[in-house]
Amino acid sequence: MLKSKTFVKKTRSGGVLKIVREHYLRDDIWCGSEVCTECKDDSPVLQRDAFIQSRLCTYPHYLIPDTNVVLHQIDILEDPVMRNVVILQTVLQEVRHRSAPVYKRIKDAIHEKEKHFYTFTNEHHRETFVEREQGESANDRNDRAIRVAALWYNQHLRKAPCAGELRVVLLTNDQANKEKATEDGLLAYRCEEYIKSLIGNPELVDRLALTSNEQNEITGGRVLFPEHLPLSRIQTGIKNGTFLQGTFRANRDNYLEATVFVHGEGEDGTEVLLQGLQNLNRAVHQDIVAVELFPRERWAAPSAAVLEDDHANDEDAEEEEAEKLESPALETSMLKPTGRVVGIIKRNWRPFCGMLTQSQIKEATRHLFTPADRHIPRIRIETRQASALVGHRIIVAIDGWPRNSRYPNGHFVRNLGGAGDKETETEVLLLEHDVPHQPFSKAVLSFLPRMPWAITEEDLKVRADLRHLCVCSVDPPGCTDIDDALHCRELDNGNLEVGVHIADVSHFIRPGNALDQEAANRGTTVYLCGKRIDMVPELLSSDLCSLRSNVDRLAFSCVWEMNRNAEIIRTHFTKSVINSKASLTYAEAQMRIDDATMNDDITNSLRGLNALAKILKGRRIEKGALTLSSPEVRFHMDSETHDPIDLQTKELKDTNSMVEEFMLLANISVAQKIYEEFSECALLRKHPAPPLSNYDILVKAAKSRDLEIHTDSAKALADSLNAAVLGGFPYFNTLLRILATRCMMQAIYFCSGMDSDFRHYGLASPIYTHFTSPIRRYSDIIVHRLLAVAINADGTYPDLMDKHKQSTLCNNLNYRHKMAQYAQRASVAFHTQLFFKNKGILNEEGFILFVRKNAIIILIAKFGLEGTVFFKNKGKPGPKLSFDSEGPSLTVEDQHTFHMFDKVKVTVTLDASNIQHQKIRMALVEPVIAGVSVAWPEPAAKKPKLDR
Amino acid sequence: MASVQISEAEKVYIMHGVRDDLRVDGRGCEDYRHMEIETDVVSNTDGSAKVRMGHTDVLVGIKAELRRPRPNVPDEGYLEFFVDCSANATPEFEGRGGEELGVELSNTLYKVFNSHRSLDLRSLCVCPGEHCWVLYVDVLLLQCDGNLFDAMSIAIKAALFNTRIPKVRVLEDEEGGKEIELSDDPYDCLRLRVDNIPCIVTLCKVGHRHVVDATLQEKACSAASLLVAVTPRGAVTCVRKLGAGSLDPDSIFEMTETGKRVGKALHAPLMELLQKDESLGKKRQKVGFLA
Repeated sequence: MLKSKTFVKKTRSGGVLKIVREHYLRDDIWCGSEVCTECKDDSPVLQRDAFIQSRLCTYPHYLIPDTNVVLHQIDILEDPVMRNVVILQTVLQEVRHRSAPVYKRIKDAIHEKEKHFYTFTNEHHRETFVEREQGESANDRNDRAIRVAALWYNQHLRKAPCAGELRVVLLTNDQANKEKATEDGLLAYRCEEYIKSLIGNPELVDRLALTSNEQNEITGGRVLFPEHLPLSRIQTGIKNGTFLQGTFRANRDNYLEATVFVHGEGEDGTEVLLQGLQNLNRAVHQDIVAVELFPRERWAAPSAAVLEDDHANDEDAEEEEAEKLESPALETSMLKPTGRVVGIIKRNWRPFCGMLTQSQIKEATRHLFTPADRHIPRIRIETRQASALVGHRIIVAIDGWPRNSRYPNGHFVRNLGGAGDKETETEVLLLEHDVPHQPFSKAVLSFLPRMPWAITEEDLKVRADLRHLCVCSVDPPGCTDIDDALHCRELDNGNLEVGVHIADVSHFIRPGNALDQEAANRGTTVYLCGKRIDMVPELLSSDLCSLRSNVDRLAFSCVWEMNRNAEIIRTHFTKSVINSKASLTYAEAQMRIDDATMNDDITNSLRGLNALAKILKGRRIEKGALTLSSPEVRFHMDSETHDPIDLQTKELKDTNSMVEEFMLLANISVAQKIYEEFSECALLRKHPAPPLSNYDILVKAAKSRDLEIHTDSAKALADSLNAAVLGGFPYFNTLLRILATRCMMQAIYFCSGMDSDFRHYGLASPIYTHFTSPIRRYSDIIVHRLLAVAINADGTYPDLMDKHKQSTLCNNLNYRHKMAQYAQRASVAFHTQLFFKNKGILNEEGFILFVRKNAIIILIAKFGLEGTVFFKNKGKPGPKLSFDSEGPSLTVEDQHTFHMFDKVKVTVTLDASNIQHQKIRMALVEPVIAGVSVAWPEPAAKKPKLDR
Repeated sequence: MASVQISEAEKVYIMHGVRDDLRVDGRGCEDYRHMEIETDVVSNTDGSAKVRMGHTDVLVGIKAELRRPRPNVPDEGYLEFFVDCSANATPEFEGRGGEELGVELSNTLYKVFNSHRSLDLRSLCVCPGEHCWVLYVDVLLLQCDGNLFDAMSIAIKAALFNTRIPKVRVLEDEEGGKEIELSDDPYDCLRLRVDNIPCIVTLCKVGHRHVVDATLQEKACSAASLLVAVTPRGAVTCVRKLGAGSLDPDSIFEMTETGKRVGKALHAPLMELLQKDESLGKKRQKVGFLA
């Protein structure tokens, strides 16, 4: 039967369009129940004995939730207890329209077999389709559609011969809807009512999201925040320029401050500063908000203070805040556009990991939850199992933030495990950084080659056979995913032939299949301390693609002919078969080169490579490539407990840079080739030059030591960094380089058709891409595919040539890379904490890296560890501080002035007083300032810990 | 225009018949042929109607669009007419054959209908000087069997009666910026008052008498005809002479009077029919094009 759906909509140009869609109704849509004999469903989803023990419904029943129940109580529905639920199409469509994440979650639940969730396409069923009536709102129609479907189920199941007492129960939180349903003779309950009636699952009650009617009961009538404007007002405001739209970014060091990054047209994105809770107006990190700018007189400068929201569980914080916000003495140049949030355009709430701060009142059910991410405010949740959750890492979702509440309201979702547990903490940091880390699905694994795998005749026919070459790989110790190998040999004409051989991952991962999609989504392999989250399944990463020694492997080779001056005479790309003769570590390779007695092929090949690499590096530096530094550390792990037992900064050998140099060369060669071939859709990598203002801190810092840093070009910067050496302070140069690194922009992937600036600033190369690590980076796989098409070694496919699709892919890759980096850092930080936990109290020397208004940030070079020494402690009157932002320097009690790079002595301890955020505490030991520095801790406290 | 060729003898036969108030198909001189009207036949228009009169078949669709009003009448909306002579109707219309006729027909329709006397054009104004509704009246000739104008006018009137324009509100913010907001209820719409919409009565001079609703054969016997647009109250809004021949003033007067009389008599049953049809609501049986 044909019906038509008609609706009018406004077009972007302001016109009004009437749209008519055909809508077909059928009578062969099955109810999906096992008891039903009428429907000819082959594999019914809903069980015969649908039994959830409930005080309200003592008979078997199917649940039908309405849209709002699905939207708000998805955490409940996801619980394994909830089974035999009918999700109506009306509900599903509305959910999809209103919240994409919830839609995905409910879809996942439907696909899970054990949950017995059934989608009933009531909108296309002849007996349950309803048309909107005159004077009925869209929501009312949907509610009616839900009731009609529920009623149909009731009548339909009654007809089944052995249905027994089977009923359907409608879950709705809408009072009017519930009343109408009861009038129609339906069983309808409020979600809370039903969940509370469940016998044997009291923990579910905690996961109930607080709904709006309950919010009013929680706090008194005091209104703390101004109202958000309705969306229509915001939109008109944005259109005529009174409001600005942007992404809200909370300041992680100061909870009273945030910036809104306004997406301007083209490049002119601006930042708006927000100060004070009222002006932040309940926006949460990453929300899309509308802000109103203050007049110029009210603009403020970002405060350099570090403020933590450490209040106890109270609501009376504003008085203190007002005082904290006292405006600092201002220079007009420091003023930034300042404004306030007038409305939220889109919330970007996700479930947050963190820990519970138990309420001081015993038996209280309301507690504050402190998220691990310091951008996120604390969240109030209601739970009766608080005592069981204390000390555990839990996940909490935000439900809403009413105007009269200091904190947003949320509900408990999941318990991850004890805090400080290595497993739990790793899980937390993976979740917090959105790293996909589930095991690979069956669908993905099905695309792996069948074992035993061997190179076939066909493979050999289309590939260059390079097995006779003396290829070897050089990697860090313990590396199992070897994606590059090298060779070098002398040609008859006296020139050298150098080959870089990269694992041919694109041979195994064909475009578009599940394996490819999964890899594209993961984007990169994530290396944590003692754990690796692979981008491709292990069979590929550690076996078939890994260029291990003495096995035949497929490779993508880039072979150059060079003269002794490392000038490229000819470049040649080919798919190949290689057989690596040795897998060396950097140290082993270095030893071979240095050992004059060794004279075998491999060693000679290495020496040739090393000599060329030095020339290449020299030339690169000549062109202005930067050598930057970051304090990287490596943990020595206990082989059994996997606890870190020692840590050392990473050491660089000649061979490191030898491999690096040839990888850079290969990447540049490939970038040129694919750009030449596909000027519109080559995937490249660029590193934009940072705006000069980024260097301010670096220049100021150098000036404080009477040195000058030139920042007008990469070359000038590199040269002035090289020249910036202080006698008697060998680490000074490294410190400067660490600072310079912090001034840099992120390198990003992009599609050549979407951008015009290709330069890689750090490498001083006009064009660059990633080609050499396809096992651990998806970008390289795409580059491999492009190159394969360019040399006619493989076919193309539409998505590869679509610059918009490429561009979306690049965005994902950039995001995943950034997140992987953060996760890596977080993992290092966590292991550093573990290390210090075992060490007890340590006294170390460090350097001041930054000077802030009320604190100094100290780097301990030995551990690559950064920490903050606060001069103001909560509750105690702080010492007298005077801050000079020009220096920058900080004078404490008129006794001592701290400058950047000053050497200080600190004690390092693990502050476990707040298990929620375990942190490394540093306290000043030297210079001694009365009332500020701490005494040298007596060794007695240290001894027993060492004995253990 | 579509025409038939008939012999002298046939002409004489028809003319003699008309003289005696008895036409070939049994009608009197002031009788219309059997008429079928159906409204709401094209779902993606805002209003539509199909009229069948003898074998003449006309489909009218009305689309409303928001446009800027004409500068000389900033507080009024307006109508646009387009007549498409489908090659279905007659092979002569094939290619661009129907174009000239189409333009002529639409110009005539414009004269007849686009006046504030027949339709309250002010009601089509949304925001003076900025937005008004423009009604695009598209006429499709499906089959020609004489008397196109009458059929078209009836179809247009029925379609206008059927037209539902979505209601819009103009929101104004502090700076005077205007924003159009659509009502989200599809039933919340603007209806047009069709009380004063005229119908066209075409009178065809055959011999010394004139006939209404001439068939193609009758038309072939006539040298000139008179188009009279009549409102339900009997007011004449437009008179036009069609055809190559001439008309003497007396017969023009006579024909106008007949036109008024016939027109008035035509409106009453038409409105009654439309209202009855509308009152059926969803129970109305749809016939469409397969009848």
